[in-house]
This record gives sequence, C-alpha cells and structure tokens, in this order.
Amino acid sequence: MLPIVSMTLFLPLLGALLVMASRNASARVVHGIGIATSALTLAGALWIWLRGVQPGAFAQVEQVDWMPTIGAAYRVGVDGISLPLVLLTAVLFLLTFIFSAKVRDRPHAYVVLMLMLETASIGTFTSLDALLFYVFFEVSLVSMYFMIAGWGYEDRQRAALMFFIYTLLGSLPLLLAILGLYLGSDPHTFDMRVWIAHPPLTGLAAMLALVAMLFTFAVKTPMFPFHTWLPVAHVQAPAAGSVILAGVMLKFGTYGLLRFALEMTPVAFRDAAVVILVFGVFSALYGAFAALAQTDLKRLIAYTSVNHMGYVIVGVAVAALATSPAVRAIALDGAVLQMVSHGLVTGALFFLVGMLQDRAHTREMDRFGGLLKYVPLLGWSFVLAAFASLGLPGLAHFPAEFQIFLATLRVEPLALIVILGIVVTAGLYLRAIGKVFSGAPREQWATMPDLNLREVLVLAPLLALIVAVGVAPSWVLDTVHRTTAALRF
Amino acid sequence: MSPLALVMLAPLSAAALILCVRRASAALALLGVGIALVASLWLLANAFEGSYRTLILPGLPGMPLLLLSNPLSTLLSVMVSIVGTFVLVYAVGYMQKDPEKPRFFAIMLFFIAAMQTLVLAGDWILLLAAWELIGFSSYLLIGFWYRRSGVGVAALRAFLYTRTADLGLYIAVFILIAATGSSEIAATWPTGSHAALVAALFLLVAAMGKSAQIPLHDWLMRAMAGPTPVSALLHSATLVAAGAILLIRISPLLPPDALFAIGVVGGATTVVTGLIALAEHDLKRLLAASTSSQYGLMLVAVGAGVPLAALFLLLAHAAIKGALFLGAGVFQHSRQSTRLQDVKGAGRDHPLVFAGFALAALALAGIPPLSGFFAKDAVIASALSSNHVVVLGSLALAGTVLTGAYMARALRILWRGERHQRQVAGLTWMGAGLAGLAVLAAGLSLAFPSIETLLGNRLAESAAAQVAGLSAAVTGLLLGWFVGGQRLLGPLAPWARRSFAIAGGMDAWVARPAMGLAQACERLEHALFLGVLATGRFALATGRAARISDERGIDGMIFALVRGTLSMGKRARTLQSGLVHRELAVTMAGVALILAMLILAVVLY
Repeated sequence: MLPIVSMTLFLPLLGALLVMASRNASARVVHGIGIATSALTLAGALWIWLRGVQPGAFAQVEQVDWMPTIGAAYRVGVDGISLPLVLLTAVLFLLTFIFSAKVRDRPHAYVVLMLMLETASIGTFTSLDALLFYVFFEVSLVSMYFMIAGWGYEDRQRAALMFFIYTLLGSLPLLLAILGLYLGSDPHTFDMRVWIAHPPLTGLAAMLALVAMLFTFAVKTPMFPFHTWLPVAHVQAPAAGSVILAGVMLKFGTYGLLRFALEMTPVAFRDAAVVILVFGVFSALYGAFAALAQTDLKRLIAYTSVNHMGYVIVGVAVAALATSPAVRAIALDGAVLQMVSHGLVTGALFFLVGMLQDRAHTREMDRFGGLLKYVPLLGWSFVLAAFASLGLPGLAHFPAEFQIFLATLRVEPLALIVILGIVVTAGLYLRAIGKVFSGAPREQWATMPDLNLREVLVLAPLLALIVAVGVAPSWVLDTVHRTTAALRF
Repeated sequence: MSPLALVMLAPLSAAALILCVRRASAALALLGVGIALVASLWLLANAFEGSYRTLILPGLPGMPLLLLSNPLSTLLSVMVSIVGTFVLVYAVGYMQKDPEKPRFFAIMLFFIAAMQTLVLAGDWILLLAAWELIGFSSYLLIGFWYRRSGVGVAALRAFLYTRTADLGLYIAVFILIAATGSSEIAATWPTGSHAALVAALFLLVAAMGKSAQIPLHDWLMRAMAGPTPVSALLHSATLVAAGAILLIRISPLLPPDALFAIGVVGGATTVVTGLIALAEHDLKRLLAASTSSQYGLMLVAVGAGVPLAALFLLLAHAAIKGALFLGAGVFQHSRQSTRLQDVKGAGRDHPLVFAGFALAALALAGIPPLSGFFAKDAVIASALSSNHVVVLGSLALAGTVLTGAYMARALRILWRGERHQRQVAGLTWMGAGLAGLAVLAAGLSLAFPSIETLLGNRLAESAAAQVAGLSAAVTGLLLGWFVGGQRLLGPLAPWARRSFAIAGGMDAWVARPAMGLAQACERLEHALFLGVLATGRFALATGRAARISDERGIDGMIFALVRGTLSMGKRARTLQSGLVHRELAVTMAGVALILAMLILAVVLY
C-alpha cells in the first residue's frame, strides 16, 4: 500500500527543495512550482480522505524507527479529528499560492518558506509521535516568523518582537509536558497512541502537565489573556500569511487542546474543565466585544477569531464535563467542525481584506463607503463571508456553533451566556458592511477594479465550500463523528 | 420529484438562474413562483384527501432534517405561494425602471423559498435555519437601495432586532432537544415540567421579535426603506407572519401560564401600536404599525386558546395587508413620497386603485361581508370566551376600535385633497397584483368552512362577539373619519409619535451599553498590549545588561544561557536570521528543564 500520508506530508518539502535548486528560475516558474506542489498535496489529502478513518483507532498509520532506544519513532496517521484539518490545510495552502502568484519581492524565499510551512502544518496534524509533533509545531512558528518579518507591513518591528516573545514563552511548557508524559509512560515511549490509550500521568503530575499544555495551547489558540499577539501579527502579516495564520495555525492550539490536553490527561482535564470553560466563554465574549470596537477591518476580523476559537474551547471543555457519550460526541463534533468552518470563513475574509488593501492601501473602515457599486463581486463575496462568520444557517459556522451550544446547554446551562456572542458578531459585521460597502459611494474609489480572474479562482472554491459545509455538514461530520462517537476517556 | 422539495427548489433555482443569466428576470421569477404555487396547491389537494408526505434530509448526526406536509403546513404554504405570486406580478410593474432588477427578483425568490421551508419544516433545526434565513433575506431587501441615506441603518436595525430575539428560539430549541432527545417538532414537548414553561417563554420572545410585538416593535416601522413589494411581502405572509405561525403551530402543546403571557403581550401590542398608527405621518409607517397591531390580535387569540381564530386572521390579514401595501406603492409612485401630507388626495388620481385600497381597509376594520369581519369576529369570540375575559376581551375590542380609527384616518387623507394627474409606469402589472389580493381580501372568508373541515376543528358561533366586534369597528371608523388621529390621542400624541419609546428605547438600553462595553474591552486591550511590550523591552534590556557584565569577564553556565537569549532578542529586533541561535537557546533551556524534571521525578518517586 502506498504511504500516502507521508507522501502528502513531504511533497511540499520536495517542492521547496526544487525551488532552492532552481536558483535562476523566474518568479513565474517559482510560483508555478508552488502552485503545482500544493495542488498535488491537495490531491494527496483527498486521497487520504477517500481512504477514510475507522472508529476507535488511528487509520492509515505509517511508522519507521527513528530513535528506538528512547522510544521515539516516525509515526504518522489520521483520525476523524485530524483528517478534516489536513484537508483544510491543503485547500488553504493551494489557494494561498494562487493568491500569492503576484509576489515579486524575493519570490524564491517566499515560496520555499510557504512550502516548508505547509509540510510543518500537515505534520503537526498527522504526527502520532510527540517528538515529531513538537518538531513540526516549532518549525511552523519559525516559518511564520520569517513570513511576517520579511513580507509584512509598515510596523513589523513591534509585531516581530511580540511574536518572538510569545513563541519563546509558548513552546517550552509543551516540551516539559511531553517530557513528563514520556517519563510517566512505562516502557518509555513518545508514541501518542499509547499515551491516549493509557494516560501515563495521574494526580498532581497530570495536573502540572495539563497546566503546561494549556499554557502553550492558550497562546496558540489564542485565548484571553494570551491573545494580544494575534491582532498585531495579523495586521502586520501579508494577506497570505494572515490566511495561513488564522486558517491553519490557530488550529494547532485547539487541536493540541483536544489531542494532548483532553486525550492524554483526561482526568485532570475534567477536574479543570470548569475553569477552562469559564476562560472559553470569557474569551469568546471578549473577542466579540473587542472586535466591535475596531475601526481597522483586518483587526476586526482578527478579533472575531478570538471569538470563534473561544467557542471551540467551550466545546472541548463541555465535552470533558459531559457524562453522556452522546452529548460528548455532539460537543466534539461541533468543536472540530468549528475549526474547519473558521479556517474556511476567516480565510475568505482575510483574502478579501487583502484584496481591498491591495486596491485602496488602507483598511480604515471610515475611509470607505458604497463600495458595492464599484466592486460588486468583491462586495457580495464579503457580505457572504461576513454572514457566514456571524453564524447564518446554510453557511459553515451554523452547524458547528449549533452543536456546541446545544451540548453546552445540556451540560452547563449557565455557560450558554456565550450565545450572546452571535448577536455581537452580527452587529459588528453589519456595521462593517454598512461602513465599507453600502451607503453613498465615494468618488475617490470610482476607479477601483473589481476582482480579477486570479482572485476569483481564490475566492470561488472557498465560498463554495462555506455553502457546502453549511447546507450539508454531514459530508464532514460523518468522518468526525466516526471518531468522536468512539472516544473513551 | 417530491412536490415538497419542488415548493422550495423552484423559486431557489429560478433565483440562481436569474443571477447567472441576468436577463428576463421578471419572467423567470414568475415562472419559479408559479411552479411553487402549483406544487403547494397539489400538496393542499392531497391534504384534503388525507394523504400527507414526509421528506427526510441528512442533517446533523442523530438529528435529520424533516419536511412535512400536514393540513396546517400545506395551508400556510399555499398562502405564501399565493401572496408571493401576486406581489411578484405587482413587482414586475413596480420595478420596471430599476436597473438592478435581477438582484431584486433573485432575493425575493430566495425569501419565498426560505419562508416555504419555514412553514413546511418538521424539525426544529430546519425551522431555526429558515427562521434566520428569512431575517437575512429581509435584511438584503430592506437594504436593497443601499446607496440611499438611512437605508443601511434600517436594514441593520431590522436584522439586529430580530436576531437578538432569535436567541430565544435558539435557547428554546436547545431546551426542547435536551429534554426530549429528539429534534422533531411534533414529538418534542416536555409535558408538565419546568422546562416546558421556560421553553415556551423563550419561544414567545422569538415570536415577539419577528412579529414586531412591543417592546420590539420599532424595527418594523423603520423597515419601510425597502421597495414597496418587499413591505407587502414581509408584512403579509412572510417575515412578520413567522412569529405568529410559530405560536399557532405549537400552541396546543403550551402550558396555560405561557398562553396567558402570549395573550397579554398580544393585547398590549394591539393597543399600543394602534395608537402609534393613529399618530403616524407616513402612510407606509402607518400600515407597518397596523401590522404589529393585527399580529397582536392574533396573539390574543392564541392566548385565549383558540389558534384557529388566529389562523383565520393570519390568512385574511395576509391578503388584506398585501393589498394595502400594493395600493400604497401606487400612491408612492404617483406622488414620489409616502408622507401623509404629500399623498393627500392621491386616491382621486387613481380611483380604481383607491377602490381596492378602501376595500382592503374596510376588510381590516372588520366590516361584513368582507373576510376581515369573520376573522376578527372569531378572535373577539375567543377572547370573550377565555378564562381571562376581562383582560383579553377588553384589549381585543380596544384593538378593533383602533383599527377602524386609523384605517378611516388613512382613507380620509387619501380621498380629501387636491388631484394631481401623473402617469405611473407599469400600472397594469401593479393593478393586476393589487386586484388579485383585493379580491382575496374581500372573499377569503368563503374558504373558512373548508379550512375548518381540513383541520378537523370548528369555531363556536357567538352572536355577542359579532355585535360587539361590529359596533367596535363602526365606532372606530366613525371616530377616525370625523374626529381624526391627533384629537383622539390628545396628550398621548407626542409620545405615540416617538413609538412610545421608554427613556430612549432600545438604543439607550442595549446599543449604547454594548458599544460602551466594546470600548472598555478596547482600552483593556491597549493596556495588555503595552504590558506585553514592556515585558519584551524589559527582557531585551536584561539581555543588554547581561552582555555588558558578560563582556567585563564574568562568565559561566547561567550567563551563557542569558547570552543566547540576548542574541535572539537582538536579532528579533534587527530582523535578521537568528534561527540557529534561537533553536540552540530553546534546546539549552529544554536541557535545563529536563534536568529539573528528572530531579523532580527522582524526588517524587
């Protein structure tokens, strides 16, 4: 059988090597390699998707010995939680490469970094070995750091510093926790499957490991009060970087929360779940209100990420608290689907803001007005994506949030106050649409060109997927549910 | 294809086609809605023969989506189709000169499809989805002329008001699914428990938002910024009707306390918004206030435990209010305004249109033999026979008097005044749509006995209610025609003109605190940002200090670690590649921590 997971995982790296080898190739060729490689990667991800997952265990596992003496090995595989995220990653990277085909500033380095980032991202989701996971997790941070530093906007000094502090602080506790889990397992191994099947730590040690992991993943997700890097990084990152950062890399946090914190220290997680739930609820509401106060369109979308990822945290915490397996499955289905939906919707929104900024060189909402008249395609795409983001039924976020809220009511009715977030996000998006796209058109923007073919190619698949997930979520949820319904902890 | 799916898919595919080809939009729209009409009539015919259909669609795990045809749902589906068809016929004329016709017709069709889904939905998730989607499409329609000033705000307000109230539906649905484990509407009702009452009250909140009941009535009057066919559709058979439809549908399951609460909300609304209608300066806003008032009457009937009476009024009102708005649209085109002082005498310009308008107005007031009389009679009879006859009965009669008064006021203004002769484009199409609905407004009551048979339920006859209702209606008409709104209201007039807003209304109570909270978050955000930045600067300064002491010759293990940190910090600042150093530092720190952990492990074991 073909090792399709590994092939998909290392295809982008191969592409990166190819770009490095062809130093004298023109920008067109380099971008062509990027697009072709990521298209092949998407094909690989679809292949993995077609092979599917199985209940109760990881599927399509591929394993090679690495450091047998310490129990570390190259192990990759997927289940219903990671597979949708792999597919999401492959889709977003392909679209990002298409979008970035206009980059003329150091295209070689740009494409190499992006391809490395793609391998790191897929690796983070498919690793079944904790050391391997940590390596991919770290490498992705490094790539993103250089993306912001190298291709960012005016104020990258501070953004880079901010990102630097957080990555330094953020990763170490996870390493500690991994070492703790390693020392607790008997015989010593880094195999995540073993850790999930037989949680190695108990009591205080488990709680300490959990706290360490929560710290790392709270920075990454991001959760209040560790989210302050997010708006800064997003505003300064290039549009493509923002899409990957929000669409893929924020999921490392919630994926880790689920895969590591919940599955490997389940008892401690249950003990701490109320605290995590409170943080999730607060984070979601805080993100919504902070977004309402923004005047910069990109910052606004960045803060809605805090809101949406807050719902994921709520979903995971509720799953930990749930006593009935059915309710737990509902909560986790919602949480995983919410990650996918957020990747699609926020990806589309950041692309759109990037397109707007390319044209207007500003993101201040008050400087626009009536743009629907001049750029109808861009405007209506934004309206659709914005309504998806505020949770309109028939679009991607609704089924996910519905399940999270439903499970919340059944487990902890008081926490349902988080549902106020959907009104606040409605208010802030309608306000943004009102300021930017409707109202009296301004002469100043009369010559603004509408979407070109490249941009349509980027947006159309995303918007189609947003509708597809919203109208018939079962094509994603069936895969997710196969795993979540069989979870035991 | 199942006619159940066809009812929705026909308008939906017509909408998609219009957006793709962008021409012949009016013809395609009529085709789409026509097919849906045939399909829903077919369902109704089946229902009369006692055959019903169910369509199961994949939804969430364990919670499939259901479409059901039963007597009530097919009846409502036919209502939506008929009103939708006439309004679209009218819109062919009304929108003749608008360059963005394709967008208009596409959204209208989407709106109709969403409403059909709402009435045919058999499970709570699909109902909730349709409920929100009609809110979305009315947002797009109210904001159709998005370039005009004030339009955006009106659309925003409509969506936000209704969405806030929609939280009630969300919570009620969660409670019901949690209590019964099923998302099916028919199967789910926890009997006699605490949850039943709580869920019912949350549903009431949702219905109050959609049906514009006090204190959530304000958005509807501002929603007049959209094209007139939109108002006609959303006031008669769609958006606003959704609240009443929901309550009519579930009322047999509701506990008595919840019913009484519904009745009181409806009764208070019918009186308050009736007074607002008397004070209005704008014809369309007057009609909007009257919509709230009539839905209030329907809620009274639901509260009195006779949902069939509410259903009759819903059906009659759909035709009547549709006709009234379509008439108002003609006057608007003819005078380029809907302000009452501008439309004075507009009825004389178009006597036929005025005849249709007046017929509908008299029907709304409740004059026999028009359909409104029978419907209103049923509502009053239900209120008079309820357990709370004093409250519900008096409020229902007061509402009826007010209905007569404000309709007579509108008729008088339209009839008394100067004639202006001005050609109105597309009058034939507009007249056709209006005529269809006016005929229905007059004669719909002929169908009431068959509806009673279909639903297997009969209303009790009550001579007292007929006398009381008719005398209330006539009193109202006379007062409205001869006394006038301002004098009737007396000292209440200025307050009524502000829609009885209490201390600044929703803006002061909800919007401003929300924005205040948002600003507070933003300030906290800034403080956090500065805090993190200061930490970063402190770390860099420490690094710098360490370098100085290091350069002076102090060396050792710990300072090597600091040097690593320092060089990383410097590199981050100068944006040069520091990858190797950085990873080295991480490794160093990791090694230190591994050691610490090992020691800890040894100590612990």
